[in-house]
Amino acid sequence: MFLLLPFDSLVVNLLGISITVLFTLLLVFIIVPAIFGVSFGIRKVYMKTLLKIFQWATLRIERGAKEKNHPLYKPYVNGIIAKEPTSLEEEIKEIRRSGSGKALDTPEFELSDIFYFCRKGIETIMDDEVTKRFSAEELESWNLLSRTNYNFQYISLRLTVLWGLGVLIRYCFLLPLRIALAFTGISLLVTGTTVVGYLPNGRCKEFLSKHVHLMCYRICVRALTAIITYHDRENRPRNGGICVANHTSPIDVIILASDGYYAMVGQIHGGLMGVIQRAMVKACPHVWFERSEVKDRHLVAKRLTEHVQDKSKLPILIFPEGTCINNTSVMMFKKGSFEIGATVYPVAIKYDPQFGDAFWNSSKYGMVTYLLRMMTSWAIVCSVWYLPPMSRQPEEDAVQFANRVKSAIARQGGLVDLLWDGGLKREKVKDTFKEEQQKLYSKMIVGNHEDRSRS
Amino acid sequence: SPGTSTPVTSLFSSTPTVTSEQIEHLHRRFKQLSRDQLTIRKENFDSIPDLEFNPIRGKIVHAFFDKRNLRQESDGLADEINFEDFLTIMSYFRPIEMNMDEEQLDRFRKEKLKFLFHMYDSDHDGKITLQEYRNVVEELLSGNPHLEKESARSIADGAMMEAASICVGQMGPDQVYEGITFEDFLKMWQGIDIETKMHVRFLNMETIAHCY
Repeated sequence: MFLLLPFDSLVVNLLGISITVLFTLLLVFIIVPAIFGVSFGIRKVYMKTLLKIFQWATLRIERGAKEKNHPLYKPYVNGIIAKEPTSLEEEIKEIRRSGSGKALDTPEFELSDIFYFCRKGIETIMDDEVTKRFSAEELESWNLLSRTNYNFQYISLRLTVLWGLGVLIRYCFLLPLRIALAFTGISLLVTGTTVVGYLPNGRCKEFLSKHVHLMCYRICVRALTAIITYHDRENRPRNGGICVANHTSPIDVIILASDGYYAMVGQIHGGLMGVIQRAMVKACPHVWFERSEVKDRHLVAKRLTEHVQDKSKLPILIFPEGTCINNTSVMMFKKGSFEIGATVYPVAIKYDPQFGDAFWNSSKYGMVTYLLRMMTSWAIVCSVWYLPPMSRQPEEDAVQFANRVKSAIARQGGLVDLLWDGGLKREKVKDTFKEEQQKLYSKMIVGNHEDRSRS
Repeated sequence: SPGTSTPVTSLFSSTPTVTSEQIEHLHRRFKQLSRDQLTIRKENFDSIPDLEFNPIRGKIVHAFFDKRNLRQESDGLADEINFEDFLTIMSYFRPIEMNMDEEQLDRFRKEKLKFLFHMYDSDHDGKITLQEYRNVVEELLSGNPHLEKESARSIADGAMMEAASICVGQMGPDQVYEGITFEDFLKMWQGIDIETKMHVRFLNMETIAHCY
């Protein structure tokens, strides 16, 4: 027989008590407010405390760096210029297309080709990706995440301790807490919507469905410690309308849906995502497409039009860029959503990069890695602006309308309004790739020239 | 036309897209390039690794020291430039403003095209000759080491002939086309929307403060 020593039983008791306390706290301070949509303001206090700590940390770094006479890296990873992430071919095609009107399949050398290299050269001179060092003159905040700061070596003991404490807090306290919350939120969403789905259609079902959705999204918001400031809430989307927003990360959906009741649009996925999607659609009519249907633009447009014309149905939430952009610019909006003829409610979302970069670079990180990164950051701070509704004017076509909406969103969110299609490559151009680009350009010109001279 | 020596900051203060904060950024960049000196020389541009891969690197750097671009009365090349000169060159890459009228837009466009013209016209004689055109094409295609010089040459010749036909029309058999003057250059670009292609946009740093 194995006898527990009194000390062991004490440890077990303590463990039991602390877990109970933790879960009670969780329930009282996080889940219950989420259900009722109220806030204790804990997150705002947390954010202010963090800011003070960041400022102190930055001062220490700068002082340390000055003493040793080292230059510092600037934390704005995005740089000061909006670099259009297009490839050589696409941009030259675009330049030529807007130019001589010659057929695009005769790529001879044109005077305008020099634009691309000229502009790239000037951009590089203005702001170089590789060497972003500035001498420390003003306060730049370090957010105690080593993933964003390259000056990590130039710090004092106190700062290292603080950073270590930060790592401990983030990975051992915040992360499990957040995962527990996320788990709770998602399971509540799935079970709640399934249960509500069994009710007969009517006001009761609608009411419950709305609140189940809102509650679960609010729990998820707390799971990410997202501190969101909503502006101009009187412009929130209404039934029969389409809500369009710029897209930076999958979290955008959670941010918007925790403040309003939307019908989602998207492709049905497999796995956990699919389970969630299928459960959600039982409670309220979201618009999910099979993979095969997504390619058929007419079908998509038809279903969306049907949904929008039914005034009892919820406003649709759409991200017209089609892909996640790095939150410094707004790419071309695909015109599909703007052809439907419904009122468009534009929304601008801007993340504060100080607390953690929310941009999902899907070519670099998978979804799970991305979510883990988000959950081990300090917080996600963002602002949401609800812009006044817009409709298509009689003299403009869908593309012009889309651009008008895009400019409004870009202006409000302080994002740069770019013309290019967001479906293009986003990653930083590697050195070997750049050389390939130059070779590609010459091949483009010469290869075809030789073909023609041969024929 | 040369003459009006507008102080550079007024060039920028009239365009709300370049704020004083962004000028500060550029100043910091200048100091970094100049290694805290007051002026920059050609060698200072060697410290930008990304610029190495640009085939017309030489021409771009040269453009910074070209006195014609620096709006100076004299001609030729400057040995070194200060921050004001740096900003002057950057001002050629301002984006267009919404509220520009026809005259401003036209002047804006001419300025950008003049910058490009100077890039082609390396001997500063006001004409782009066949040889100068060939130089540009060769440089642009220099990224490919396997390229025959002949190919680059024939491309340039073809392009030059086409330019001639636009500018002068049908030429007689004994007519010699001297070179593309700036007026001809403008003619070639008529109807082509270059203003939106030849600009660099700054990020707006201010809204970050709005997040809370």
